[in-house]
Amino acid sequence: MSPLFTGLLILFALLALLGIGTPIAFALGFVSIAALLIVDGAGSLSILGETFFGGLASFGLVSIPMFILMGSAVASSPAGKDLYEALDRWLNRVPGGLVLSNIGACSIFAALSGSSPATCAAIGKMGIPEMTKRGYPNEIASGSIAAGGTLGILIPPSITMIVYGIATETSIGRLFLAGLLPGFMLTALFMAWTIYDCRRRGIGLSALTERFTMKERFAALPRVLPFLAIIVGILYVLYGGVATPSEAAGVGALFCIILVVVIYRMWSVTKVTGMFRDTLKESVMIMMIIGASELFSYTLSSMFITQSIAEWIAALDVNRWVLMAIINCFLLFAGFFLPPVAVILMTAPILLPIILQAGFDPYWFAVVLTINMEIGLITPPVGLNLYVINGIAPNITLAEILRGSIPYVLCMVVGIILLCLVPGIATWLPELMMGKAL
Amino acid sequence: ETTLKASHQWPGGKGDVRDEMVQILAREVANANVDLKIQVYPGKSLFKPREQWGAMVKGVLDIAAFPLDYASGRHPEFSATLMPGLVRNHDRASRLNTSPFMDDIKKVINDAGVVVLADAWLAGAFASKKQCITSPESMKGQVTRAAGPAFEQMLVGAGASIASMPSSEIYTGLQTGVLDAANTSSGSFVSYRIYEQATCLTKPGANALWFMYEPILMSKRSWDELNEDQQKALLAAGKVAEEYFLGEAKGLDDKLVEAYSNAGVEVVEMSGDDYDQWLAIAKETSYKNFAEKVDGGQELIDKALAVE
Amino acid sequence: MTAYIRWVSALSRLAAVAALFLLASAIVVVTQMVVMRYFLNASTVWQTEYVIYALVAMTFLASPFVLMEKGHVNVDLLYLQLHGVARQVVQSLAGLIGLLFCALLAWSGWTYFEEAWSYGWTTDTVWALPLWIPLLPLPLGVGLMTLQYIAEIAKIWRGEPA
Ligand code: NA
Ligand code: NA
Repeated sequence: MSPLFTGLLILFALLALLGIGTPIAFALGFVSIAALLIVDGAGSLSILGETFFGGLASFGLVSIPMFILMGSAVASSPAGKDLYEALDRWLNRVPGGLVLSNIGACSIFAALSGSSPATCAAIGKMGIPEMTKRGYPNEIASGSIAAGGTLGILIPPSITMIVYGIATETSIGRLFLAGLLPGFMLTALFMAWTIYDCRRRGIGLSALTERFTMKERFAALPRVLPFLAIIVGILYVLYGGVATPSEAAGVGALFCIILVVVIYRMWSVTKVTGMFRDTLKESVMIMMIIGASELFSYTLSSMFITQSIAEWIAALDVNRWVLMAIINCFLLFAGFFLPPVAVILMTAPILLPIILQAGFDPYWFAVVLTINMEIGLITPPVGLNLYVINGIAPNITLAEILRGSIPYVLCMVVGIILLCLVPGIATWLPELMMGKAL
Repeated sequence: ETTLKASHQWPGGKGDVRDEMVQILAREVANANVDLKIQVYPGKSLFKPREQWGAMVKGVLDIAAFPLDYASGRHPEFSATLMPGLVRNHDRASRLNTSPFMDDIKKVINDAGVVVLADAWLAGAFASKKQCITSPESMKGQVTRAAGPAFEQMLVGAGASIASMPSSEIYTGLQTGVLDAANTSSGSFVSYRIYEQATCLTKPGANALWFMYEPILMSKRSWDELNEDQQKALLAAGKVAEEYFLGEAKGLDDKLVEAYSNAGVEVVEMSGDDYDQWLAIAKETSYKNFAEKVDGGQELIDKALAVE
Repeated sequence: MTAYIRWVSALSRLAAVAALFLLASAIVVVTQMVVMRYFLNASTVWQTEYVIYALVAMTFLASPFVLMEKGHVNVDLLYLQLHGVARQVVQSLAGLIGLLFCALLAWSGWTYFEEAWSYGWTTDTVWALPLWIPLLPLPLGVGLMTLQYIAEIAKIWRGEPA
């Protein structure tokens, strides 16, 4: 049996298990074990525990729960509300002003959190009800938050960038920088679409009656400043030679907890456990997927499937941009079914050599990959942000969220095209701050 | 036809000497026509570096180019193969291979269920962006990434402060200033392009503190399943790989020096006097620790130092 | 069965509380490490390892709780189209797959732990922590998750909300 055919069988088995609703981590693990048992016999079971454990025991991965905790600490406080309200005082005269404020708040919050669902929850919890209250249709209210939340993994810090950095041995600090300008670019694209859409449909203009004086506008800032200070602090720790990304994450988490406890008086046991509980749920879910992906990658590699796919793609011998288009379609497809971390761990070892061979920059590619993963976060059947929105706004239907998200998905596609046309959007800042890449 | 899986952690097909050794092994075995094929998995594409040992012991992995110290958590004797100052230079390394010291180490390897196909000792270096590292005095106050616990102990003894991170993060560590200095193998110093960040390199030269034993190993279980012809072919292929390595070993250090001088990095070397000062510290720190922790540890160190 | 579900759920909650303390301790240790090195220029010997193993332990210990809370993300669009017994069967099948995987992982983790314990393996660092300590949460947590899975499958047939 050829490796490619075995690979197809494994893929179908995986899709079947996912289809009946097996949790992704356990489906990946089960398919791997079954394949190993069939091909290599019972002896292969003996390394199961060591491989799974070894996949998790890495100092780089330490930053994942930490960066999630930073986000959920702040998300458990009313800071998200303060953030978009402060922005709203400046943006309320623009069509769709409140939506813009929410998108902007997502973008700022993304700099505090490594995770996309946390970003969604932090801003959306108060933001979605507020938008619907002020007359925005459900789809705009939920779609903008679903999409805005995905900025969490593009604007640094970012869990997907950490996992990519570990899987490809690229510098995590540099990956973070590469995501910054593209993150602003997507924010701008989201906002531009929102202004156009709201003006076209004549919604969100009612807020025009409400006017804020300059004094009122500045009065809203002090509550936001501590969070901006933390963002600047983390950037300093990361790029000022104080600590590695994992260490910065730990220090950042501690500061965020202290900040919400002091400013928002969140010192009751229930509130503190609340923020840790959200962190536990999201990080454990991600870490189990990482461990299982380790087994899955081992299985594919040991049966020479990974290598055969890579050889097969390399043998296609197409124009590099056609190749990039194919890779993007493939990533989009994978993103429909799997969460970002799983996609990156499974595809990065296959794709990176091909990407380098075709002369693409690995840091630029990380950004393109991440935007693909952002799309996956808001598309069914597995879109983590969809679950979050569903949780915080149960009265909005999945169909409405999806309809609302589609324009923003198109914005992301435009973003990818812009990145292909002007790769400097991703590579300029890291090169400016850290010199040429390795 | 029997297919053996051979794994290692270095880039494949890029001229890394350890990859080349495994590739030679595979080619030689194929040419011997004994119904034996070696499938090479380079660049940790099969196992994580440290997991290779356990996999070989269990017979799940057949062959690996493996830095032996990675298994020192299971066999503390192996720490002696990444012990500061035990080797000193390449000529001594090849004399060490046939010494009673290596007989003892290989006995531990065999008893664990692994056989050695080819020996290899890799040299390493120091680099700093603060101050050239020669005598222990020059190490004081430098935040350093060290390769291996025995080195960490010695460097701390010299007044350095240790930050642990994988070798792939050394570049960023130096660049952002988390690190002042680093210690790793000559190969990693070139492949991670540390010369772009360092201002001074301490080349291995005649008095190299850092040597690591990175042999090609094979699972005893897999070995026992082969027929006699296949075993003979593997041993012969191992010899060829080992001879290739001996021819290349010094060239590796020359490549290191060339890369760093071309990048305008100052290149220095430890004097015999510096080396003795380091040994004195090692005796008080790493050696002492090793002797306390490992049964017969002091004997092992004495045997290694006794080699001419 | 009710008593079983109650007991297993209580154990899972307890393990999650332990995980929570591990996470909190990891944050404190990381901060201490940065302060030690950056401000006091001192060496850090055990901190990196502690943080790694604390968070791995957090993952395994909290995993049963996350399972109980339906936090291990899955594709539910397809089986949500089904109703009645058909849905219960499909859900149980998925549960069985998860159960089998967890049982195998727990068993393999146990043998790994058992080897580390009986041969006295340590981590290969200056700290040289006995390896069985960081390994113990693997069989413990994943084993508990196996028990929790039995409870989850039982819940499907008792008509509790999925
Ligand atoms: Na972020
Ligand atoms: Na999706």
